[in-house]
Amino acid sequence: MATAIEIQSVTKTYHRGGEPLVVLDGLDLRMDGGTFYALMGPSGSGKTTLLNLIGGLDHADQGSVLVGGTDLNKLSGAELAQWRAASVGFVFQGFNLLPVLTARENVELPLLLAPLSKQKRRAQAERVLKLVGLEDRMDHKPRELSGGQEQRVAIARAIATDPQVILADEPTGDLDRETANSVLELLQRLNRELQKTILMVTHDPEAATFADKVVHLDKGKLGRIDDNRTAGATARRS
Amino acid sequence: MPIKLLVRNLLGHPVRSLLTVLSVAVALALLCVIDAAARGFTAAVDLAAQNRLVVWSRVSLFVPLPIAYEQKIRQVEGVADTTKFQWFGGFYRDRSGFFAQFAVDADRLQTIYPELAIVDGDYAEFKKQRDACVIGKGLAARYGWKVGDNVPLISALFPRGSSGVEPWTFTVRAIYDPSRKNFDDQTMFFHFDYVREALEQGAAQGLTGVGTYSILLRDGARAEDVIAAIDALFENGPQRVRTSTEAEFNRQFMSMMGNIPLLLRSIGGAVLFAIFFAVLNTMLMAARERTRDFGIMKALGFGDRRLGALMIAEAIVLVGVGTALGVLLAKAFEVLMAPFVAAFAPGFAVDQTVLTQGLAITLGLGIVSGVAPALRAMRLLPVKALREDN
Repeated sequence: MATAIEIQSVTKTYHRGGEPLVVLDGLDLRMDGGTFYALMGPSGSGKTTLLNLIGGLDHADQGSVLVGGTDLNKLSGAELAQWRAASVGFVFQGFNLLPVLTARENVELPLLLAPLSKQKRRAQAERVLKLVGLEDRMDHKPRELSGGQEQRVAIARAIATDPQVILADEPTGDLDRETANSVLELLQRLNRELQKTILMVTHDPEAATFADKVVHLDKGKLGRIDDNRTAGATARRS
Repeated sequence: MPIKLLVRNLLGHPVRSLLTVLSVAVALALLCVIDAAARGFTAAVDLAAQNRLVVWSRVSLFVPLPIAYEQKIRQVEGVADTTKFQWFGGFYRDRSGFFAQFAVDADRLQTIYPELAIVDGDYAEFKKQRDACVIGKGLAARYGWKVGDNVPLISALFPRGSSGVEPWTFTVRAIYDPSRKNFDDQTMFFHFDYVREALEQGAAQGLTGVGTYSILLRDGARAEDVIAAIDALFENGPQRVRTSTEAEFNRQFMSMMGNIPLLLRSIGGAVLFAIFFAVLNTMLMAARERTRDFGIMKALGFGDRRLGALMIAEAIVLVGVGTALGVLLAKAFEVLMAPFVAAFAPGFAVDQTVLTQGLAITLGLGIVSGVAPALRAMRLLPVKALREDN
């Protein structure tokens, strides 16, 4: 399987109150394309920071972040924005939909950056909303949707431009168990049916069972990688 | 879609957007009216006739000149004609019914001021009747007066009757509409002799004499020569005079009230600041509230320039709507204020020049006020912006 994401000796340090805080400490990691990864670890272990670096939302201080063969550290701000628009989809814990737009319009938003006609944008937004089971809620604004529905819209928005990589930061953190499971099943379906590489940050061990592999971080370093697909991983959901 | 997003964002806070639009509208209307008034004041100077002079007392404009001076002035080389001008200081019904009235030589007024174009009634009828008057079209409209109506006025300068509050009565015989902007349409002219006779008969009190003489120059006469000749004529009294061109007289008259155009333009400048801060405040609040939205859009791949342009476009739309409303408001103000302003600023008009300037300034300020929030949006780091609560 081809490598989708490659992290090479990445270091990231923040400064809090004048004191340096090393969040990622020479991290090396390789992730296969078309695989569903869960990223786990205690608070402060660097999970979200790693996700932001892979998503091109932040820069590493040292080392390289290669996604689909592109070295993100070598891209300028404008190039990085273009790369994000074409190559990666985000799903956030707080859904992060624009409150003034309907579900369809929120999904259409990233498509504005693609060379598509208005009709094609609309058709694509409707197609992915149907894919996540929200064909009857397209004209509703976020405040008129449940939490689970909002997260489905966010997932639809993340896959609207057909990116190869989907990054999800605690996507079920604000949802009840039942709704969380349906969202996780949706992510699993996107991975299996559309071969999307998914990297999901989670604290929830049950959520991690939906992933193919679980990457454990500890104090900015790679701990271990569990493969849920091996025979011993009985807890794996399928 | 970006337009839809822009409009939805503005409508997301309808009260705030509406108040900003209204503040821009009122500010623009004020700016236009102030500018129109300032232009009106200067128009009296800029558009003054080149072939007219004014003679008044060297002591003060309020000290009358002897009536006998007129004959002497008429004999000066280069003088074609003259008319007396005497401020009457009357009011209609009560002191709020104030407007300009002048006692003049009815036979010669129109020769010297050909811009008094009669649009109703007959100037010949005015000349014939001692207590007749000619009034401006705007004044007629203000009080609903028409030809044949009697207009009672009480004068502070020329109190009539034993009580001093007996009204003078004038019959409207003609209505004029000035053909040039240097002349207002809010003034009443009547016979100088009507006042003089009343004073001589003891029916009224007041100073005898003439406030100013207006002079029409002969073709080819040099104003400097005529001014020097008239001033020299009365150099030894009994009353020394000051003679000047009409433009200079208008300038001096206005300087007595202070530098009104400068004052007005200073107020206009303050209004501009008000527009700027109103829009800037709204846009900064909008930008701050939407920090997380900007983070989301950046994460989706929207570049800094697009987000900056979105904020500037929002400011332009906000100001643009306010500006459109402000134009309508300015035209309404013009109609309401013209009767009160025109007597002092005869060129007062919220015309295309005033509106174009107001529009350009307001829209320019709108763009400038969108720059700060646009820069803020552009400089936001997506990671930090996504952590913000909306």
